[in-house]
Amino acid sequence: MNVVTKSKVAGLILAIPIIFFGLENSYSVYLFLIVMLSVGIPHGSVDHIIAFINPKARKFNNKFLFYLTYLSLITFNIILWIISPFIGLFVFLIISCYHFGETQVIGYNPTDNKLLNFVVGANILLSLFLNNIVELQEILYIIPEFSNFDLSSFDSVFFLLIAVAVLMLSILNFEIKRKVPLYAEITILYMVFFHTDLLTSFALYFGFCHSLPMLMLEFEEFKNDNFIKFYLKTLPFTILSIIFGFLIYQFNNDLLTSDNLILFVFIIISSLTLPHVFIMRDFVKDK
Amino acid sequence: MLNFILAGTIEPGDFTGFTFFIGSVSMLAATVWFLMQHGQVDKKFKDSMLVAALITGIAAVHYFYMREQWVAGLGSPTELRYIDWILTVPLMVVEFALLTGVGMKKLFWLSVVMLVTGYFGESGVTGMLDAQTWGAVSGLAYFWMAYEVGCLSIFGGPSGAVGNALASGSGKIPEAGKMLQWFVLVGWAIYPVGYMAGTEGWYSFVAIDEGAMNIIYNVGDAINKIGFGMAVWHAARS
Repeated sequence: MNVVTKSKVAGLILAIPIIFFGLENSYSVYLFLIVMLSVGIPHGSVDHIIAFINPKARKFNNKFLFYLTYLSLITFNIILWIISPFIGLFVFLIISCYHFGETQVIGYNPTDNKLLNFVVGANILLSLFLNNIVELQEILYIIPEFSNFDLSSFDSVFFLLIAVAVLMLSILNFEIKRKVPLYAEITILYMVFFHTDLLTSFALYFGFCHSLPMLMLEFEEFKNDNFIKFYLKTLPFTILSIIFGFLIYQFNNDLLTSDNLILFVFIIISSLTLPHVFIMRDFVKDK
Repeated sequence: MLNFILAGTIEPGDFTGFTFFIGSVSMLAATVWFLMQHGQVDKKFKDSMLVAALITGIAAVHYFYMREQWVAGLGSPTELRYIDWILTVPLMVVEFALLTGVGMKKLFWLSVVMLVTGYFGESGVTGMLDAQTWGAVSGLAYFWMAYEVGCLSIFGGPSGAVGNALASGSGKIPEAGKMLQWFVLVGWAIYPVGYMAGTEGWYSFVAIDEGAMNIIYNVGDAINKIGFGMAVWHAARS
C-alpha cells in the first residue's frame, strides 16, 4: 500500500465513526482546525523548497523571484476578494477544481490530462457543495448572487442523485487507467459528504484525500529518513500563514468583519491555494 | 444525526425491524468477507472484490441508519434507501464492466436514467408528468439493462454486448455471469414492484402495507448485494 492510499484509508477510518456516532456541529470546527493546522497548511508550507528540489520543474531563477511571485499572487487574490467576493470565489473554485482533481487522480491515471484533473476536482467540489447546500447557502448569503436562491423545494436525496449522475456521466468519456477504483473512491467520498456537515466533510476530504497524501509525497521527495525533521521544515511557513490569517481577520473591511468565520476561512485558504497550485502542478508531473 | 449505538431495541414481533437488523449485520459480515478474499484472488479480480466490499459496506452503513429510523417509529426509511441505491447501483453495474471489460458506458447511462426517472416519479419533485410515466421510463431503462447484460439469453433469447462477453469469458466467468443475470432479472425486479406499491397509477392494486414492503426490500437488497459479490467471488476463485 503506497503513502497516498494509506493516507486515504486513515481518513476513512476516522470518517466511519463520525458517520455512525454523529459529530456535533460545534466539534466540526475543532476537527477542521486540527486538520488545517496539522496537515492542511503544512502541506503547502514547503513550496519554497519543492519549487527548487526538482530541476525539471524549476521555473524560478532565484528565491527572490519565487517569493515575489508567490506573495504577489496572494496579494492579488485578497484584492480580488475585497473588490468582488463573487469573482474571488469563482477563481478559487476553478483553481481548486484543477488542483484537487490533480491530486485525486494520482495512483489512478497520470496527471497530465488537465481536463480530467479539472473534471474530477469539479465533481468532488460539486458533491461537497450539493450535499451540504443549505449550509452553503447560509454561509454565502453575504454574496448577493447567491442570496436569492431558493432550494427549499428539493430534498437532500435529489442533490446526491444529481452529484452521482454527473460523476458517472462525466468520467465515462475519459481514458482512465484505473477508472473503476477512482469511481469507487469518489463514491465513498460522496457518502461521507452526505452524512457529515460541510465543515466536517471538507476537513475529512481536504485533510486525508488531499493534504496528507501530498505531505507524504513531499516527504518521499525530500528523501529524508526522519519524518519529524521533515515536518519541522513546514513549521516556519505554517506559523507565518497563521499570522497572515490573523492579520487579515483584523483588517477592517465590510466583508471580513462580518461575523462569518467560514467565508473568512475560504478567503484565507484561497489566498494560500493560488500560488501553491502552480508549484504543485510541476511536483505531481511524474506521480 | 442518528446514532446506532443508542438505537432502541427491536420490539418482540417486529419482523420488519428484525430484517433491518439482519440486513445491517449480514452486509457488514459480507464486507469483511469480501475484503478478506481481496487478498486471496487473482490480481485481475482484485478491483471486483473491492467493489463488492464497497457495495455491501455502503449498504451496511445505511441499514444501520434505516434500522434506527424504523425502531424509532419514524416510518419507512424511503430516503435512506434511495441514498443507498444511488450509491450502490452504479457500483453493481460496474461489476459487469470489470468482469467483461465492455459496456460500462451504456450501463452507466442506463442506470442514470433508471435512477433519476425513478426518483422523479417517486418524489414528484419535477411537478411534470405522473409517477406511472416516470416509472415507465425507469422500467424501460431497467429492461434495456437486463437485455444488455444478457438476462434474456437465460431463456435462449438475444443478448447485448455485455451478455455476449460474459458468455465467452474465461474460467468461471460464464458461470458467474449466469448468476449475475439471474440477480438482475429476478432480484432487481423487486424494485419496480416497490415503486408501484409506493406510487399512484394503473397498478394501484399492488399497494401493500409498508412493513411488508420493507421486508421485501430488505430481503431483496441482502440477496442482491451479497449475491452479486458472491457471484464475482465465484468467478475470482478460478
